[in-house]
Amino acid sequence: MRTSTSLLLGGVALLAALPALLTAGLLNAAVQMLIAALFASAYGQLAGRAGMLSFGHAAYFGVGAFATVHAMDALNGAGLLPTPLMPLVGAAAGLGFGVVAGWFATQRSGTAFAMITLAIAELLHALAPQLKSLFGGESGISVMRTPAWGFNFGSTTQVYYLTLVWVLLSLALLYFHTRTSAGRLTLGLRENSHRLRFLGYDVHRLGVSAFAISGLFSGVAGALQVLANESANYVVFEAHVSASVVLNSYIGGVGVFLGPALGAALMSFFGYAVSDATQAWLLYQGVLFVLVMMFMPEGLVGLGGAAARRVKQLGASRAPPLLLLWLLAVLLLAAGAVFLVELLQRLCSQDYRALARAAAGWPPVTMFGQSWAAVGLATWIWPLGLLAGGGSLLAFAQRRLQMKEAQA
Amino acid sequence: MDTLLFGLLNGLIYGLLLFMVSAGLTLIFGMMGVLNFAHASFYMLGAYFAYTLQGLLGFGPAVVAATLLAGGVGALVERFFLRRVHHHGHAHELLLTFGLSFIVAETIKLLFGNFPVDYHVPASLDGPAFTLGSQQYPTYRLLMGAVALAMFGLLYLLLTRTRVGIIVRSAIYKPRMVEALGHNVQLVFMGVFGVGAALAGLAGAIAGAFYTTSPNMALEVGVMVFVVVVVGGLGSLGGAMLASLLIGVITSLAVSVDRSLADALTLVGAGAWAESVGGLLTLKLSSLAATLPFALMLLVLLVRPQGLLGDKT
Repeated sequence: MRTSTSLLLGGVALLAALPALLTAGLLNAAVQMLIAALFASAYGQLAGRAGMLSFGHAAYFGVGAFATVHAMDALNGAGLLPTPLMPLVGAAAGLGFGVVAGWFATQRSGTAFAMITLAIAELLHALAPQLKSLFGGESGISVMRTPAWGFNFGSTTQVYYLTLVWVLLSLALLYFHTRTSAGRLTLGLRENSHRLRFLGYDVHRLGVSAFAISGLFSGVAGALQVLANESANYVVFEAHVSASVVLNSYIGGVGVFLGPALGAALMSFFGYAVSDATQAWLLYQGVLFVLVMMFMPEGLVGLGGAAARRVKQLGASRAPPLLLLWLLAVLLLAAGAVFLVELLQRLCSQDYRALARAAAGWPPVTMFGQSWAAVGLATWIWPLGLLAGGGSLLAFAQRRLQMKEAQA
Repeated sequence: MDTLLFGLLNGLIYGLLLFMVSAGLTLIFGMMGVLNFAHASFYMLGAYFAYTLQGLLGFGPAVVAATLLAGGVGALVERFFLRRVHHHGHAHELLLTFGLSFIVAETIKLLFGNFPVDYHVPASLDGPAFTLGSQQYPTYRLLMGAVALAMFGLLYLLLTRTRVGIIVRSAIYKPRMVEALGHNVQLVFMGVFGVGAALAGLAGAIAGAFYTTSPNMALEVGVMVFVVVVVGGLGSLGGAMLASLLIGVITSLAVSVDRSLADALTLVGAGAWAESVGGLLTLKLSSLAATLPFALMLLVLLVRPQGLLGDKT
């Protein structure tokens, strides 16, 4: 318990120190990471703890965002709700919409629930472009952050601290919720709802409340995004927003409280870092998700535990070489896959096809700052060699592991 | 009158197409309890396979090849992906297929570009079938309806009149017992998954040429198919048929209705008030056509949560 507390304090201190360490561009990315982390935590509260898979969580994020944008526009920082308190509007909107949508969605459980949440989000997505006065049409709605409490919110640093305070507060509240009896009942909902009903609880009401709480914090995340971007557009209702929160949360691991947040922060950081270098980032994200689902059901946060178990099982002297071997194999495979995808992406792009048609041949492509012949062993041997090498290394490591397990 | 008739016909054929996709989904769900999120991806794969092969083989053979390829991909997905995570439970399988659908869409964007491709009806089939009043009705639409109907006839006969059908139906009902009787239930599951995927692929190969073939088609149809199975009742083939036709007809008729809620309120004298409120009340029904299926779904959930023909759950 003590190590985890000091880890937590260290993490918060690091987050508080970030503006001094990062450039403005990176700090903006950090704001987006924090927002994604909060959104994923709100999602994880529903998917991980209550066991309800929602595929349309963009709806609550978007409703929170639009409520905030309208509130900022109408109040203009005056009255009871100055700029720093604006996320309360998002929270209220997310909660309200969460109660309504949750009432419908929790009529059914399991797979039907998943489909209903998806359909509710698509309903909003189909409706939003039609209601121009509410959702601003193609161009969206822009607002200004009005100064309040002695801050002008003109610099990224101030926006960062505002976001950080709200994200930490929300995470603390979410964590507090898991310790209350209501939070415990949510867990019971996932494990055995029949038994809960038998014990006299209103299962539907419990489901709606879990759903609404998740909607509330999604709404806060949406509001924070509006505060950060000073605008809202109906693209927040698009399916890829819902999809990415599902992918991020499960890549991180929904079984642990901070798992979804870490997953989302990691993925949005990578998304920011590689968005210039590759056009296939979403593909990598999807592949990573499927790999996690197939081989690491606990998510990336489970990796440390798995490594620790191996060390314990095989002994401190014999485990590290094997883990290193395994790591090397994974890196080789990843490098091979990335090479192949990037090469294919360039060969299939419109520009290249036009070039190939004009040249009536296969001109070379530029990749990783180098020119590669499109046809030729010298190019294709790289991805194939990397994949084959990684694959055989992985098989070798696996065999060694089995041998050592047999010995142990 | 002509418009109404044409709208009705269009709706029925769109409904049949939806049923072609949702039949496989419902069959797979009924059998394995797996909601296959990637099901509509097979629809998209069918369209893209047919588009790619069209130049090599010609339209007809390309559609057949696309159907078989989509079925093959489906069988591989069941064998190498779903079966591996089966012991983690249904939610895990649902998430895995969700990830797969994501990968399929992104791969297609990578290989074919994030825009509609030029996949169209061949010239020989691109003509009017009959003329009613002043309007012509395209042959290809009738062809789509005919293919869908023929497929159901075959599927129905296969399930009810053959030995394979008996094994499949009993594997849905009591998989362990069927296994104990010496049938390879795993193979049956793989086969059903493959056939379901092939049906979706066939629907995609045929419909892609008439509507648009783009990386978004899986999501658009997928969401509609989910609405169909929720409205019809999960696992019920008859419910899926009813809901598909209902949704097809409603959306296609709504497109031609140029009225809004405000017009309806005028009848009770509240028209001016509705005009002043604006927003949802003054939107024309035709522009709301895309949202009607979702509204229908919410209505069904309100009054009959298990779906129109679903069992009480």
